[in-house]
Amino acid sequence: MLVTLVSWLVGLAAAYLAVGLVFAVAFVTRGAGRVDPVAAHGTWGFRLAILPGCAALWPLLARRWARGERAPVERTPHRDAAGPAEGAP
Amino acid sequence: MGLEYRAVGWNRQKKLYDLTLAAAVAVYLAAFVGVGLALKPNATAETLLIRAFGTAAFALLHVILSIGPLCRLSPRFLPLLYNRRHLGVTMFFLGLAHAALSIVQFHLFGDVNPLVSVFTSNAHYGDVADFPFQPLGLAALVVLFLMAATSHDFWLHNLTAPTWKALHMGVYVAYGLLVMHVALGALQAERSPLYVVLVGAGLAWVLGLHLYAAGREAARDRAGVGPAAGEEVGDGFVDVCAVDEIPDARARVVCAAGERVAIYRYGGRLAAVSSVCQHQNGPLGEGRVIDGCITCPWHGYQYVPETGESPPPFTERVPTFPVRVRDGRVQLDPRPRPAGRPAGSCSVKGAP
Ligand code: HEM
Ligand code: FES
Repeated sequence: MLVTLVSWLVGLAAAYLAVGLVFAVAFVTRGAGRVDPVAAHGTWGFRLAILPGCAALWPLLARRWARGERAPVERTPHRDAAGPAEGAP
Repeated sequence: MGLEYRAVGWNRQKKLYDLTLAAAVAVYLAAFVGVGLALKPNATAETLLIRAFGTAAFALLHVILSIGPLCRLSPRFLPLLYNRRHLGVTMFFLGLAHAALSIVQFHLFGDVNPLVSVFTSNAHYGDVADFPFQPLGLAALVVLFLMAATSHDFWLHNLTAPTWKALHMGVYVAYGLLVMHVALGALQAERSPLYVVLVGAGLAWVLGLHLYAAGREAARDRAGVGPAAGEEVGDGFVDVCAVDEIPDARARVVCAAGERVAIYRYGGRLAAVSSVCQHQNGPLGEGRVIDGCITCPWHGYQYVPETGESPPPFTERVPTFPVRVRDGRVQLDPRPRPAGRPAGSCSVKGAP
């Protein structure tokens, strides 16, 4: 019973990461530069360094890439009170 | 202030830091195995390595957890903070080595999947003393992985600093899990009580240091906002302090609009910016003006005081606040100006 349940969960996690890994390879070679222009000129070492994180957080990055969105600007009490920045990229 | 991402932005200081770290880890592992073999000649290499890696990771975690509060207590510890992320990644790999060897040693040769076996080999989930301690270690490892995997500046920028910091607060979750992992493991193996005593001492140190630093910080916040500060003086401005209370190239920090504001004095002028660095939300107000730029004490990001913008080609920007001087006193308009519409600066003499 426990073995069956845990086997399922481990299988689910493995599937999630397998999809993530395939996505991550595509993302670090193409998508990263779209979502974050600075990454367009990133070195290969950089692409390798972010690969595991891309495999883990792929739903977030996939959504951003698909919608053509850029990285958001952080929210702090001061930024909220100041309103939108001018000339924001 | 990234212009281009690299795997590691090494410079002289970071190289020195990483070399010291690598040497310390190597010496520790060698000493652990050496002393272990001397004391128990019939211990196997696997067992000693499992313990060497596990204790090295756990000890390093204590160092990592101490750096934050130590830096709040004294700027002398800031060099440790500068490259703290490399400590975290190193700790993850030490923990991974311990976990991988443990799985090989205890789970590889059964008839269930080794990862499943970590959860099921001991199924006493209802028992406090006999609670399975290995899944706790695995859960901690997952948290440590997430933090190590998102340690690059790319993640700071793409998750934004507040989200990134919230994620990295997971280090406390990992620590809690590991305290139980080690304590239960030692209890169940009926290992020397020294293990439990050491874990307890570590826990007392980490908790004590955090509480002490938080207390000191709260006291400083109360003292920092002087009696007159915050009082309205007309046109929406509030009184802050006498001009002479701010040393040159340094800031006075006050709380306004729900967050800290840094009012900098530099070469006869004053300017105020939000004290939250856009990199990792470091305390901008605790930095100094170097080469005409406010320089963050954590990793050295720079901002022009009048505009709150990083000098080109960098693109970081923080909100700014109008300041003025009346009768030798600094006054602040606590309504932040958005990035791109800078509040400017004023002369310490009172003229605009
Ligand atoms: C899949 C994950 C993990 C597994 C299967 C695992 C397994 C084990 C086992 C079997 C022991 C007892 C070893 C013995 O008595 O000789 C142990 C102890 C210990 N573990 Fe883990 N562990 C995991 C993750 C971690 C992590 C991530 C850390 C630290 C970052 C850690 C730190 C320790 C420490 C400090 C001890 C006590 C020292 C020792 O007896 O080796 N463990 N672990
Ligand atoms: S927080 Fe990293 S430079 Fe300011």
